[in-house]
Amino acid sequence: MNKSGLVIRLAVVIIFTAVIVGLITTQIFYRFTFLNEQALGEQSIKQLYNTVSPTASIASYLGDEELAKEVINGLISNDLITAAAIKTDVLMVKSDNYRPSTATLEFTLFSPFQKERSVGVLFVKPNEKHLVDRANKISATNAFVVAIEALIITLISILVTYYVITRPILNIGKALHTISPGTNERINKPSSHQKSEIGQLADDVNDLLTKAEEQMLREKNLRSEVEVLESRFRMLFENATSAIVLVEPQGDILLYNETFEQLIEKLNLTLKKNYGNYLQDLFIMKKDLHEHIRIAFSNNESAAIELELISYQDEKFWVQVVVTQLITDDFQENYQITLHDISKRKKQISLLDQKANYDGLTNLLNRHAAEHHLKLLVATKVPFALIMMDLNDFKPINDIFGHDSGDELLIHVASQLMKSLRKADILSRWGGDEFVIVLPNADKEEVSNVCEKLAAQLSKPHHLSQHNKSVFVTASMGVSFYPDDEAELLELIRLADKAMYQVKRDKSTNQELYLAFSRDISDLENKSKKP
Amino acid sequence: MAKFNQTIAILILVLVGASAQAQEPLAVVVNKANPIDELSRSELIDLFMGKYVAFPNDDKAIPVELNGEHEVKIEFYQNLVGMPLSRVNAYWSRLRFTGRKRAAVFKPNEEELIAFIIANEQAIGYVPQSLITEDLKVVYILNE
Repeated sequence: MNKSGLVIRLAVVIIFTAVIVGLITTQIFYRFTFLNEQALGEQSIKQLYNTVSPTASIASYLGDEELAKEVINGLISNDLITAAAIKTDVLMVKSDNYRPSTATLEFTLFSPFQKERSVGVLFVKPNEKHLVDRANKISATNAFVVAIEALIITLISILVTYYVITRPILNIGKALHTISPGTNERINKPSSHQKSEIGQLADDVNDLLTKAEEQMLREKNLRSEVEVLESRFRMLFENATSAIVLVEPQGDILLYNETFEQLIEKLNLTLKKNYGNYLQDLFIMKKDLHEHIRIAFSNNESAAIELELISYQDEKFWVQVVVTQLITDDFQENYQITLHDISKRKKQISLLDQKANYDGLTNLLNRHAAEHHLKLLVATKVPFALIMMDLNDFKPINDIFGHDSGDELLIHVASQLMKSLRKADILSRWGGDEFVIVLPNADKEEVSNVCEKLAAQLSKPHHLSQHNKSVFVTASMGVSFYPDDEAELLELIRLADKAMYQVKRDKSTNQELYLAFSRDISDLENKSKKP
Repeated sequence: MAKFNQTIAILILVLVGASAQAQEPLAVVVNKANPIDELSRSELIDLFMGKYVAFPNDDKAIPVELNGEHEVKIEFYQNLVGMPLSRVNAYWSRLRFTGRKRAAVFKPNEEELIAFIIANEQAIGYVPQSLITEDLKVVYILNE
């Protein structure tokens, strides 16, 4: 049985109380009994006195020892009296065990004939032991009765508690153990407690079970809804064509989708937990990223920027990075970073760029692009030399060997020219067999050297595989300087062109001539105009 | 009528006589030669109820009693101790069991009683006041 069970507790309390109350009542009862017995004893003694008083009076009056002895013997023969004595002026008659003491009752004896005349005193010593014995006997009986009563009350209380309270409650408890909440199971109401508090308890428990069932059903439905929603979200997230990453402010990645994983794989990088703030380590232009984010966030916007990804391959990867600030429910700041792959678009754009700015045949800058570069140089006031070059005798080759061979020759010329130029120099196909070469920050001597080199390269014969024939071309070059010769671009070009045509013209007389400076020509003109 | 009158007269006499007898004080008397002149009531009771057998002056005393249930005796005890004679007799009966013997002398009538007192110096007795003679000394008057 349970040590702290109701029945045991109740039994302990009742037994304890019964013992305490029994002890107290027994003590009090004993005290009362004793006092009562004492009073009764005294009363009995008084009655005895009343019985013997005429004789005692006579004995005292007459001083008759025999009569007094008779009285004393009569008195001590009673259980209530241990000792007695009669004392008069002339006589002292006493029982053998009489000792004068305070616990003695005194009765004044009067003359039988004169009620006011005192003739002696009767001393009576009550039998205390007898009183105590009787009181004890009565008290013992009483204590026994109280004990029996306590025992009966205890037993009945325990039985009633067990059968009426504990067992039904235990049964309810047991029933509860076997019931799983959320089902339609209910506990049975004890038959003897249909209207009692325990019945009420069973009802309340059943109500609670009903509520729990409803609640769990609701939660179950809600959970399945959430699950469906979650699976859809996951599908959305996992199957997104863009890489989506959720990062903490310090750059720790909280969440990423499969596309991100694939992207990292494609970049030949290892998947890490942290790529720096806003995944900065993935991008070549970190500064741009931070700058964009700073501006966008200060305007409470998402940052969107196109960046090239770091890659250890030849292929270049471009992404549009969208960084969105997210504040979680518990006020944590996170960033959602989406990486849209724009490599294809970038490639297309660069292709278009190529088409727009480069000559399809020679891959040199076209005239449009060259003009753009020239405008830029003029705008930034960088001094440069402009060389206008035209191939000699190209048309006959084209006519004799056909356009394909002409094209082949042009490609050859372009590559030969390229070999003799510095990186900062600009080489462009101006049109047909015309080329424009721009040499920034070059003086006349340098230009002469370059032109000499160019002429030398061109003069090398080219083998036309189709026709099994070697051909070579020469070129005429006209040079003008910005801004020394002319600050206006069109005029500058015209000056170079003019110088180039001067070369062509003079070539009939001088086969070796290939280069002319516009300033020399204008000097000549000036001289010739002078008389 | 004469008879009726006679009856009335006797009745009156009886009544008057009875009342006269009842109201007549009793005198406790001793021999003229007795030195005691007066006794207290207690001394009287002690003498007649057997406590003392001597006068206060230690002279021996002999109480003289009337025999049986003499009217005077009844009246004497009624007056002296407030008890009917039966109780007084019972008193003496009880004392007899303890071996106490009464020292009294019994006389059948007042005349012999008086004679005994006159003849006996230690005697003491009671008589109606009307019977007192010169030879007797009254020491106490009862029912005054």
